[in-house]
Amino acid sequence: MNLSTASVTVRFGAVAALQDVSLDIPSGERRALIGPNGAGKTTLFDVITGARRPTSGRVVLAGADVTPLSTSRRARLGLARTFQRSALFPNLTVAANLALAVRSRMNAGWRIWPSRQERKVAAEVSSRLDAAGLAPVALRRASTLAHGEQRALEIELALATEPRLLLLDEPMAGLSGAERQAAVMRLRSLPEEVTLVLVEHDLDVVFAVAQRISVLDHGVLIADGTPAEIRADHRVQEVYLGRTE
Amino acid sequence: MLNGLAFGGLIFLLAAGLSVIFGLMDVLNLAHGSFYMLGAYVGLTVLSLTNNFWLALIAAPIALAIIGGAVEVVFFRRIYQRGHLMQVLLTFGLTLVIVDLIRWRFGPQTHSLPTPPGLDGAVHILGVPFATYKLFVILFATLVATVLVVAWRRTKVGAILRAGVADREMLGLLGIDLSRVFTATFAFGAALAGLAGVVVGPYLSVYPGMDESILVLVLVVVVVGGLGSIEGAIVGALLVGVANAFGPLILGGFEAASIFAVMAVVLLVRPRGLLGLRQ
Amino acid sequence: MTGLRQAALRRRPLGWLAFLLFLISVPAWAPNRFWINVASQALIFAIFAMSLDLLLGYGGMPSFGHAAFFAAGAYGCALWALHRSPDLLPLMVLGLAAGAGLAVIGALALRARGIFFLMLTLAFAQLVWSVLSNNQLAGVLGGDIGLIGVPRPVLPFLPDINLFQAANFYLLTLAVAAAVYLALAAIVVSPFGRTLEGIRENEGRMQSLGTFTFRYRLAAFVIAGAVAGLAGMLSASFNFSATPSSAFWTTSGLAMIAVIVGGARSLLGPAVGAMLVVLLQLGLSSLPARGLAEHWQLLLGAVFIAFVLFLPGGISSLVRGRAN
Repeated sequence: MNLSTASVTVRFGAVAALQDVSLDIPSGERRALIGPNGAGKTTLFDVITGARRPTSGRVVLAGADVTPLSTSRRARLGLARTFQRSALFPNLTVAANLALAVRSRMNAGWRIWPSRQERKVAAEVSSRLDAAGLAPVALRRASTLAHGEQRALEIELALATEPRLLLLDEPMAGLSGAERQAAVMRLRSLPEEVTLVLVEHDLDVVFAVAQRISVLDHGVLIADGTPAEIRADHRVQEVYLGRTE
Repeated sequence: MLNGLAFGGLIFLLAAGLSVIFGLMDVLNLAHGSFYMLGAYVGLTVLSLTNNFWLALIAAPIALAIIGGAVEVVFFRRIYQRGHLMQVLLTFGLTLVIVDLIRWRFGPQTHSLPTPPGLDGAVHILGVPFATYKLFVILFATLVATVLVVAWRRTKVGAILRAGVADREMLGLLGIDLSRVFTATFAFGAALAGLAGVVVGPYLSVYPGMDESILVLVLVVVVVGGLGSIEGAIVGALLVGVANAFGPLILGGFEAASIFAVMAVVLLVRPRGLLGLRQ
Repeated sequence: MTGLRQAALRRRPLGWLAFLLFLISVPAWAPNRFWINVASQALIFAIFAMSLDLLLGYGGMPSFGHAAFFAAGAYGCALWALHRSPDLLPLMVLGLAAGAGLAVIGALALRARGIFFLMLTLAFAQLVWSVLSNNQLAGVLGGDIGLIGVPRPVLPFLPDINLFQAANFYLLTLAVAAAVYLALAAIVVSPFGRTLEGIRENEGRMQSLGTFTFRYRLAAFVIAGAVAGLAGMLSASFNFSATPSSAFWTTSGLAMIAVIVGGARSLLGPAVGAMLVVLLQLGLSSLPARGLAEHWQLLLGAVFIAFVLFLPGGISSLVRGRAN
């Protein structure tokens, strides 16, 4: 699914968190969104998913203007997102967490009578637990998981909706080397048609995964291009100059 | 009309405390009514011991400040991270305990504080007799309101509280000990409630159950006037006081319903209230 | 997960059967009619508490206005029984409908969350209370006295069974309570119930997973309201009256205490909690212990505070701990 934003601006009083941000991401592309902290990347995600109304501008998904649509509606269109700080269901088991996502996708969440759907849900949850490496902790409460496991669950929840467009907000944050590799592999296994937008600070991951990179600084899109172009871009270098990675 | 102002003055004293407590600490203190009642009974006791109304007027807020501070330290400190519901329910439990204790000690009958000498009788305003004491209530409430507004707007303490209401985390970042601020705020709110309790004594009666009937009205004021705002409490109290006086004339029996309807509307449309600072 | 849960439920059927039999046997060994009546009231309040638990424990929506639906059921059925007929089935349907109907109106509160939702529901309940106690409407609604002289219902196929008898009415109440429990238990373990829990745990995430959370909250709100209305109907029948105080926010407060003490995340917990609250409230007054008799509020408040501070998961969290 392709995504584009048209002149998205978000103002809080006098402060502009995003200014005139226009992106064009075609279907199936792997795009990275980078920029220093506070650049507005999460805010942009919020606008795309519908969690925040832009002060002005539009969000277009698959050619349709979704700006007035709710988060749930956009998710139904195939948009999924992970959060910077894991947004799990803390008191439910890992398996129950995933079941919620799967059931939501199957539209089976409203049933009072369990029916055959529940068996399908259980089967899929089982295979997802394996794929995400969470089978050993399937019956643990999400709030008791280690950080790496929580991030894995966080990503898997989004994947369970079988999205056409996936927004990942710093998925690798706090992960060990091995965990990062596992996560990257999980993402690589996504079908080609799935569009991926990745906010990441780890530039190694960025350059490994991304086909194009957009750079945000203080709410403004300052650069947009292939990894090679971005690496060579002066403005980008300025912004990252002197910053410890 | 003046009756409405007197009542409004009383409500203001209660609303100011509740509003600040809620605005700063995010705690909906349902026990506020019981603090009010406690203040009234403390006043009753002091009065029966010393026969001095003014002493009672001073003793009650002090007593309530101590009690309020103690309650905050002993009970609330433990449950702040548990979320709003638990805090609110805790205050509800406290109400049950306090009210029952008072009823146990003082019995279920209605008491009335005698009007202090010098304030009994009536004055004539525009040819209509008006109880001197009620005039006193209006003036006293105005005095307290003025002091509070000045303190709120002009002093350092007020600035800290205002900042806390707008953004609590910021206070922590500024290095201010939040737990001390909370205790002080709660104690202060309780003191105001206690003050109101004594003031009301000669005006309305003192009985177990006075907490319930007034609490909901105070809640309306706080919601309508705005959470965490003293000025809002003033405005809200005036509105409610006047509405209470005129309501029966205009709305015949339905003034209670309308007041709650207004509260609901405000909550839906503008949860911050008319003058509230909280986001 | 669902299978696991259902298996867990079936793990202790003997315990429940025993509990049920115990409850059925009450009229046999209760010392006198007073205690059978206490038991009836305990069950009625248990039904009310279970409905609140659906809303609070499973839906994460704390409401101080739930008693308004209880009152709707009470008044609706009182009016029907007084002016139309005391047949049980229509009364029960009306109780459910009245509760559900008022809930649809009260659902306006669902636009808010958390503490604002709490205050809105409180305002709503007070609104209902003030309308019910309004003396100008006393002709229809009975003013602050309420409606009196409500007859006991008549069973559909067994009109000879006199429900004015304490034991008979108690058994009816027990039957309704058991049915309500089973129905709510089914809802709670169903996919719908799971989704509701997900909304409670993290509504934002549920939305980003594509769930239209408002519908579920609305459904839970209306179902809970309906069951509360049913409890109200039983209450009106039991007390031969419907009073405005039943809508006052403190009634909802008491039910919340019952839910928390019993344990918000289970269904049986709040039922037991409710029964304890009623036992405390009514039983204490009949004890010969002087001075303690009328102070059930003190005891309840103190116990409740203790639970909030030290055992927020309620009694059921203790039991569950032992079961594991």
